[in-house]
Amino acid sequence: MDIILGVRLQDCTLVATSKAATRGISVLKANDDKTRILNTHNLLAYTGEAGDTVQFAEYIQANIQLYLMRENDTELSPKATALFVRNQLATSLRSRKPYQVNVLIGGYDTKTDVPALSWIDYLGTHVELPYAAHGYAAFYCSSLFDRHYRKDMDLEAGLDLLRMCVKELEMRMPIDFKGVYVKVVGKDGVRAIEL
Amino acid sequence: MSDPSSINGGCAVAMVGKDCIAIACDLRLGNQSLSLANNFEKVFPFGDKTFLGLTGLASDVLTLKEDFRLKHNLYKLREEREIEPETLANLVSSSLYERRFGPYFVGPIVAGLHSKTNKPFICGFDLIGCIDFAKDFIVSGTASDQLYGMCESLYEPDLEPEDLFETISQALLNAVDRDALSGWGAVVYIVTKDKVVKRVLRTRQD
Amino acid sequence: MLTPDIAMTYSGMGPDFRVLVDRARKLAHTNYKRIYNEYPPIRIMVQELAKVMQASTQSGGIRPFGVSLLVGGYDEHSDSFQLYQVDPSGSYFPWKATAIGKTAVSAKTFLEKRWNEDLELEDVIHVALLALKESVDGELTGENLDISVISEPQEHLLGFKGTDMTGPRVKKLSAEEINDRLDAL
Repeated sequence: MDIILGVRLQDCTLVATSKAATRGISVLKANDDKTRILNTHNLLAYTGEAGDTVQFAEYIQANIQLYLMRENDTELSPKATALFVRNQLATSLRSRKPYQVNVLIGGYDTKTDVPALSWIDYLGTHVELPYAAHGYAAFYCSSLFDRHYRKDMDLEAGLDLLRMCVKELEMRMPIDFKGVYVKVVGKDGVRAIEL
Repeated sequence: MSDPSSINGGCAVAMVGKDCIAIACDLRLGNQSLSLANNFEKVFPFGDKTFLGLTGLASDVLTLKEDFRLKHNLYKLREEREIEPETLANLVSSSLYERRFGPYFVGPIVAGLHSKTNKPFICGFDLIGCIDFAKDFIVSGTASDQLYGMCESLYEPDLEPEDLFETISQALLNAVDRDALSGWGAVVYIVTKDKVVKRVLRTRQD
Repeated sequence: MLTPDIAMTYSGMGPDFRVLVDRARKLAHTNYKRIYNEYPPIRIMVQELAKVMQASTQSGGIRPFGVSLLVGGYDEHSDSFQLYQVDPSGSYFPWKATAIGKTAVSAKTFLEKRWNEDLELEDVIHVALLALKESVDGELTGENLDISVISEPQEHLLGFKGTDMTGPRVKKLSAEEINDRLDAL
């Protein structure tokens, strides 16, 4: 099971995704990036069924980009982006073959200067959360987040929290997930960061 | 445990009092055994004195909330007045039955006072829209069995608003404590002819 | 009668009117009763009719409806009786009293003089018959004239007993009842 984590901090949102791409018992790739940048201030992280994930993520990415072009470079807010993604998944759920994709959306609202984090699963369940994870990682990390999360955390404190999570995951997860990529979504857009 | 109506958990209850009604829900949203959020409200206002509670699959709760918001707004534009609780109930029923062979996995309840006569009205539905008209109380969600038990023993007719609040709160609180998928906070609306009071209840956080 | 509380009549082409009656009755159900389990208020019913008539002025291959309508009814929500006129263009107007057809202008002038806010039911029937008499060449009889009254719920017209349902408010007067009133003119 892939790992994706998200934490909303004081002035940015952190998203961490595992680097391993696995198929059954094999690790196929150790530098897999499970995120797509939707627009300057929105990042989509995904897990789920092998083929569906990238297909869905890039479909969403294309549509958000299209909106940008049509609307004269007006960015969709994190809330609007999350509702759009939720709607797509909820519609897909009742189609012949639903997308089996779970996502986190890290965003930063440039109008209100508020960071945002959305948890959305393949059913179309959507919640805005201070910290979130999908899959088994959620079982290991939720308690750590509950104990150590403070809503006024700065970037360094957020990274410390992620380090604790990754340490815990490395200890308890049965397979090596090859570490995580960490991305920060803040005022100046999305950037990668070393943990 | 892949039953869609008990993946996310949550419950709601409505009661009739003397010239008033109460409707309440818990605040939990979970993914199977894992709790995700403690701010997921399941009761939504439609006009001043009419409320719709939606329990079941969270995705469908969100979808239907928006669907009924749309239909309610169109209704207001067309009729130039607020929708009556009875009318909303029939709208909910026909909307759900439209999806008879691919239903939304929800357990809606409607509660409200008539805009002019202030006559209390409550009712519940199954997932395909069969209406359950009740004189006393309506329960719904993963703690519905427990709620039936609590309501059956605590409820009495013609309660004043303050007493109705106490009754519905105790019924909900004690019911969700015996349901692993419900709880994590609760919200109660008490609706009287000229006032709506919303109260957020503190509950056990386990 | 379109719904238990709404009735309409026309001036113009009879066959077109029958089509509109069919349409209105069906729309009352598909667009309203089957959704809300109650009959449409008269204003909504009139809007649906006007929509049909307007659409026929814009669609290709068909002609507009050759009728003007008078739609009367009771509105539960505002507890009021209402009268509307609908024209072939699809425009509609609410009235206190009005007339349509060949002699509409003179009939309206007449009504303007005779109508007032506190006429009783029997009085308005009387005024309506007088207005009609003014503009009709031949003799008026109960056999060549229709009167529908929309007033209190008519329990006896329900056809069954023992429910809390209210009866229809629309009641068509019989030839006999009309003749009685004609004699009293």
